[in-house]
Amino acid sequence: MVSFFENLHLGYQVAFTATNLLYCFAGVFIGTLIGVLPGIGPTGAISLLLPITYGISPVSAIIMLSGIYYGAMYGGSTTSILVNIPGEAASVVTCMDGYQMALKGRAGPALGIAAFGSFIAGTIGIIVLMFVAQPLSVVALKFGPPEFFSIMILALTISTFLAHGSMVKAIIMIALGISLSQIGLDIVTARTRFTFGITDLEDGPGLIPIVMGLFGISEVLVNIGTSKNLDIFKEKIKGLLPNLRDWANSIGAIIRGTFLGFFLGILPGGGAVVSSFVSYAVEKKISKHPDKFGTGVIEGVAGPEAANNAASSGAFIPLFTLGIPANSVMALLLGALMIHGLQPGPLLINQHPEIFWGTIMSMYLGNALLLVLNLPLIGLWVQVLKVPYRILFPLILFFCLIGTYSVNNSVFDVIVMLIFGIVGFLFKKFKYEPAPLILAFILGSMLENSLRQSLLMSEGSFSIFFTRPISASSLIIVLLLLLSAILFRKRRQVIAELEEH
Amino acid sequence: MAENSTKSDRVGGLIWLLLGIGLCIGSKRIGLGNFHKPGSGFMPFLSGAMMGLFGAILLFYSCETKLSRKERFEAQNVRLRANWINLFRDWKNFFFTLLALFGYALLLNVLGFPLTTFLFFFFLFRLTETEKWLMPLFLAGVMMGFSYLLFSVWLGCQFPRGVFGLG
Repeated sequence: MVSFFENLHLGYQVAFTATNLLYCFAGVFIGTLIGVLPGIGPTGAISLLLPITYGISPVSAIIMLSGIYYGAMYGGSTTSILVNIPGEAASVVTCMDGYQMALKGRAGPALGIAAFGSFIAGTIGIIVLMFVAQPLSVVALKFGPPEFFSIMILALTISTFLAHGSMVKAIIMIALGISLSQIGLDIVTARTRFTFGITDLEDGPGLIPIVMGLFGISEVLVNIGTSKNLDIFKEKIKGLLPNLRDWANSIGAIIRGTFLGFFLGILPGGGAVVSSFVSYAVEKKISKHPDKFGTGVIEGVAGPEAANNAASSGAFIPLFTLGIPANSVMALLLGALMIHGLQPGPLLINQHPEIFWGTIMSMYLGNALLLVLNLPLIGLWVQVLKVPYRILFPLILFFCLIGTYSVNNSVFDVIVMLIFGIVGFLFKKFKYEPAPLILAFILGSMLENSLRQSLLMSEGSFSIFFTRPISASSLIIVLLLLLSAILFRKRRQVIAELEEH
Repeated sequence: MAENSTKSDRVGGLIWLLLGIGLCIGSKRIGLGNFHKPGSGFMPFLSGAMMGLFGAILLFYSCETKLSRKERFEAQNVRLRANWINLFRDWKNFFFTLLALFGYALLLNVLGFPLTTFLFFFFLFRLTETEKWLMPLFLAGVMMGFSYLLFSVWLGCQFPRGVFGLG
């Protein structure tokens, strides 16, 4: 317990330095901004800013990048409520009742409960993260290569299971991601693989060009064909503080959303988006007036908003304890840590406590900052929404170009990004999700290493994966998930079609 | 719509199947090793096999979804127009944006950072402001100045100076 408080104190010392306060503020500010702006999500924004973090300390980098992630969850609700267009994917559900509340002249309480719900959920999520992560990392220290291999396979399987639409396409994305991670020099045998004589490919294609192409460039290419001026909510927003009745209706939804979101956030592939949908479904199911959902009930805003914020805290658990990212944003954070020479995993919390505890403490602070940014400054974000897309899209493209170029001062990286931009555009058009690809690309080399080490340990026998309890149980879950996907294929298709419409 | 997606899935399935086979052949050439000591091609072979297998499954399912003769006839009329027109609904903006992006990558070393940036913004602003010249020129100038200050001066990024030695 003493060391727990010592760690808390260490985190406080790290997070409250002037530099880290500034990076925390920059993170949540940018997060809110990209959450408000439709068309660029947290993955795109983090990939844009990743090169800038090279010159700063790893803890400052993680504090800022995490701030962007949970900040985007706050900001996304503003656009959903005021314009009926989700600022980012996790706020899709908020449109249903949030916009209806705005139409009834209750935009203020809708924005207010979204911000307070997010704050409560974010804070509870951080507390749970703080208590759960360290004991889990101690358990994870006992894991060997077979356990890591099986857990990574489980993570990749869950990400395909929770992907929208076709699971077959999601598995193909995983295979493509692993294949891309194999390009370049094999560190064990020093043999080049699939470089086709191109020296720039010897280190493999970079994470940043791929992510910026798939999430930044492709998003703009899709939007330039369909962009239209947003119909902004014009009435003056008043009464941001929800009344007692609003609180009475919402508090249960916030608490349920918090715990649901946190635990769904831990699962790879789903995170904030899935948890907001599940929270809405739960609230509707247990409500005394389910027929009123979709007409502007405050629980329909409070639950999902709490869930997506709590999920963003939960997603840090597998990253900090196992070094396995739960979603594409966490994959980028993993990449950021690795770029700074740190190996995320069970040893990280013990060897670099300042990273973990500094980030945790900055998240408390970030949540408080977000409350200030999202309530009194709501007028500013409404103005941001009025920036026309024709001004915005050249800027996004320019940041992608410069962000990618500045990593290695390489035009080759820019060309790789543009190719992945076109590929990402086609993926979006033909309904392939890029998130599992990124997850697999990041995990690819770790997966290969743990498979090789496991086979060396067992002298070539695959039974090593089935004789160790954690590894075996992970693979049994994988098997069950794949079986259920085959058995409920029709049902999944129906859900995908419903989501599409 | 169903017809469109099955056709694109059929093409997609075939591409993934061929790519998977290609990966497996390439991996075999690199060297698969054995289970005791996996070689450099072992993991790419597994991922290639997975891609090929699921590409084949996608191909199989898309061929399995058959429509009636009448549905096929109706869908065919819509399909030709919808397929590629839908993909590039605003083809002009799409292609010119791509042109600007590739142009930026190819001209950066030749013209240097400030001039390429100016041309990039001018081209894209002009693309959407087809009536006017002055506003795109002004905005491109502002963006060039802002990006130069931000990236070159403040963040100290190193950019090519180009043949004119600018930047």
